[in-house]
Amino acid sequence: MYEPKIIGFLCNWCSYRGADTAGMARMKYPPNVKIIRVPCSGRISPELVLRCFREGADGVMVLGCHIGDCHYANGNHRTAKRMAILRQLLEYNGIEAQRLCVDWVSAAEGEKFATLIASFTEQVRQLAPFVEIMQ
Amino acid sequence: MSERLTALRETIRQILPQVDGVIGLKTGPAGIVAPYLFKPGHPEMLDSLALWPKEPVPDTLKIIQKAYPNARLAIVCRGCEERGVVEMFKHAQVSLENLTLIGLQCVQEEALFCRCAKPYTVHARVTVGSPIAGVPDPLTEAFAAKSQAEKLAFWKEQFQHCIKCYGCRNICPQCFCNVCALEDEKWVETGRLPLPNPSLYHIIRAMHMTAKCVACRECEETCPAGIPLAIHFRLVARDVKEMFHYETGAVIEQKPPQLLTLEEGDYERSGLP
Repeated sequence: MYEPKIIGFLCNWCSYRGADTAGMARMKYPPNVKIIRVPCSGRISPELVLRCFREGADGVMVLGCHIGDCHYANGNHRTAKRMAILRQLLEYNGIEAQRLCVDWVSAAEGEKFATLIASFTEQVRQLAPFVEIMQ
Repeated sequence: MSERLTALRETIRQILPQVDGVIGLKTGPAGIVAPYLFKPGHPEMLDSLALWPKEPVPDTLKIIQKAYPNARLAIVCRGCEERGVVEMFKHAQVSLENLTLIGLQCVQEEALFCRCAKPYTVHARVTVGSPIAGVPDPLTEAFAAKSQAEKLAFWKEQFQHCIKCYGCRNICPQCFCNVCALEDEKWVETGRLPLPNPSLYHIIRAMHMTAKCVACRECEETCPAGIPLAIHFRLVARDVKEMFHYETGAVIEQKPPQLLTLEEGDYERSGLP
């Protein structure tokens, strides 16, 4: 059993508040996710995700507002498009797409946030450490 | 081959008086084929008109249009080059005003060489040669059938040869950003080869070519290490077609998906939760 290192990009308006909600409700979730707050999930370029992997992350989470709820009207439409393509591209490069989690968490969904982190950590734990498969 | 050359020469000769220049390929003094601007005053230059090997003529068009925005031009383009011109037009790199497209249809050998699915032009009103059907791409098919570990091993082996010469980016008619992500120290370090895996250089380039790559295979042709780069682009192009119903160069009015918000059904097809 190894402890996977996971980077979580959380949008300031929904997912980061969702994480706050989970915290305020004293919900328990694994400590593997290192959270980085970003203005919008549309800010997350594929380069950032790939650099995370290159630096040794085992998984990357990109969480944003639900489609239609974006603070910037359509920022997460871009996330939805580019992350869908990036997942395919990871597959084509022999990297499991399960390492990249893209989901939508609103400010009220503290429970969804906690379960999502728990399930994603388990999902990544099933795979080999990223640095090992890249050797 | 030679019939097509004669027909093309005749077509250009007819168009030449109506325009300021025709961009085509010409055999130089040392036998090297390169893009050339045939001008109305010098029809004798057409004697050294050439067809093959293909060169990125959309780029030449862009350079000439930048210098002479009002010039009436014509361009000899194959299917892929026509798609390139159309995509560059969508991204405001070339103008289709005052431009005549002369469609040159590829022959079977050329299509097989390029593993081309669309070796014919669709928008050009003046065409030379008869269109043929596309051929399958055995390399991409074989790659798509591989398992996860095999794919990883395949690219590890291929990218080992990469010398990061930036040739694939430089020759690409769709790579026109003034500031390139591949020159950013944050993603691609200077003085280091694209290893270690994952190869950020190649994945970022493939990502940036989403819904832009016109499958002209210039990158593969120019690569000194012979890396089959088109595999990435063709697989992604297939996904873009499935998810966003977008094909590069097919419809001039259709905007590329990255410039727009999600359309009806796009999200459902993207496979996200």
